Amino acid sequence: MASLSNGQDERKRRLLQRYGTTVWPSFLVAAVASVVFFGNIDPETLQVQTLPEWNISRLGGYTIGFFMFWGVGLASSILCLILQKMGNRPT
Amino acid sequence: MSEQQQSEMYVAREKIHPREVKGPFQHLRNLAVVVLLGIYYGLPWLQWDDRQAVLFDLPSRQFHLFALTFWPQDFVYLALLLIVAALSLFFFTALAGRLWCGYACPQTVWTEAFIWMERLTEGNRQKRLRLDKAPWTRKKILRRGGKHLLWIVFALFTGFTFVGYFTPILELGQGVMQLSLGFWEWFWLLFYSVATWGNAGFLREQVCIYMCPYARFQSAMFDRNTLIISYDEERGEPRGGRARKADPKAQGLGDCIDCNLCVQACPTGIDIREGLQYECIACAACIDACNGVMDKMNYPRGLIRYSTENAIAGKPARVLRPRVVVYAVLLLAVLAGMGYSISQRVPLSIEVLADRNVVYREVDWATIENVFTVRILNKDRIAHDYALRVDGLEGIEAFVQDDRIRVGAGSTDSVVVRVQVPRDKIDGPGQPFQLRLESLQDPDVHVTNTARFNGPRD
Ligand code: SF4
Ligand code: SF4
Repeated sequence: MASLSNGQDERKRRLLQRYGTTVWPSFLVAAVASVVFFGNIDPETLQVQTLPEWNISRLGGYTIGFFMFWGVGLASSILCLILQKMGNRPT
Repeated sequence: MSEQQQSEMYVAREKIHPREVKGPFQHLRNLAVVVLLGIYYGLPWLQWDDRQAVLFDLPSRQFHLFALTFWPQDFVYLALLLIVAALSLFFFTALAGRLWCGYACPQTVWTEAFIWMERLTEGNRQKRLRLDKAPWTRKKILRRGGKHLLWIVFALFTGFTFVGYFTPILELGQGVMQLSLGFWEWFWLLFYSVATWGNAGFLREQVCIYMCPYARFQSAMFDRNTLIISYDEERGEPRGGRARKADPKAQGLGDCIDCNLCVQACPTGIDIREGLQYECIACAACIDACNGVMDKMNYPRGLIRYSTENAIAGKPARVLRPRVVVYAVLLLAVLAGMGYSISQRVPLSIEVLADRNVVYREVDWATIENVFTVRILNKDRIAHDYALRVDGLEGIEAFVQDDRIRVGAGSTDSVVVRVQVPRDKIDGPGQPFQLRLESLQDPDVHVTNTARFNGPRD
């Protein structure tokens, strides 16, 4: 295996690792959550009940819901990452 | 984890260009790629009767699967399907290790497809390695450009197909031609294309190494009898180069000629001779590569092979272990249950809602009335007329506006039902009674729901 060659590689690797522990897992969870949520709840009724003056199609509702789930998961993953980093500091 | 450990874990590497190898396992893998991609790209074009055979019709919240149509009310099947998927993954992992990764994971399958295109435009491994280092000449721009063009077209078609599972693909095709798709369709088409392009073109094995949860927890399903890819250290070491005619025993060498082909073939860039590593996606490319070398050297095949920890340690291998049996039994049970309940599915469902404003009404001194709204969902592909009946309380009677309740194929309708019970037969609020709806065309199609009748406390 190649050894650590330069700082750029190192940075790229870090970036990937962060991406892998935040963006990706929250994406997977959001996908499952959307299926479960929208399998049971029709975005159209949600919209009619909460934002009647807006005009959002069902497809739009699913999309917004999915990205909301993803956003929430992402926020939590990022917090995790930060907290874990701080936990590594020797006390 | 300290910084140092981290950098040990995430060792820098240049872009991996796996060497193309030929052999039975690679044939099998290529076959898997062709079949799986064929299914993915072909399925949405299949028609069944007069509609798309497989269509998750999100806008109308129905899921068509050949002759079957599922509704949100059938959510339980979706949940069961997820359970089946998880159980099969457990089962196959316990039995045969990372079969999924090597042969069926979309990440692997699309990466293979993208590597084919790369090979087509940029040539084999050596050429690609050289091209990576070469200055930006006309030739490099052409080859690179050609590759990206192919990738992008393929990715766009992938995104298009993806959306085609959710919107009828023929309409979708027209929409794309006339640039008249809705915003969200465009959005998903492009989103999925970019994701495919990024994951299969650039991230590749890094998805498996850094991102995939399965790669991390699959080892929990392993045991000493799980099929793994392994290098026969006993036989191979000490490794070393030698002349083809030389007798390795005389030179004190094992069977590994240290040609590094197994490393070059590996799509995740590891050396299987260092033992089983979690980066290994069990693609068996190293097996084929090594067997080719063994053939050339006239050594027996299988220096790298599918094996189990027990087999390597010389212990008897067992296929039927408790965990395999447990997974299999669970899997079969869920599948059987699912199949049975799908076959018993009645294409009708109702929801009974009590009037929220008026709990009960006194029709005359002797009779109490409750009003219900019954939402009827006809899941069948023909229209039905239904008859409604109530039961379960003495003297109970139901009145509907029309005697015939007609609901079209695949539609919903609501009817208002007035239910009356003699006052002296009521004791207190919340008396359960049964409401039954039966098709006049097909007596097998019926459902019964329990609702509650409210009356005054005496
Ligand atoms: S490690 Fe994960 S992403 Fe990679 S092939 Fe296996 S399941 Fe797929
Ligand atoms: S070690 Fe062998 S089986 Fe594992 S990923 Fe590499 S080539 Fe495939």
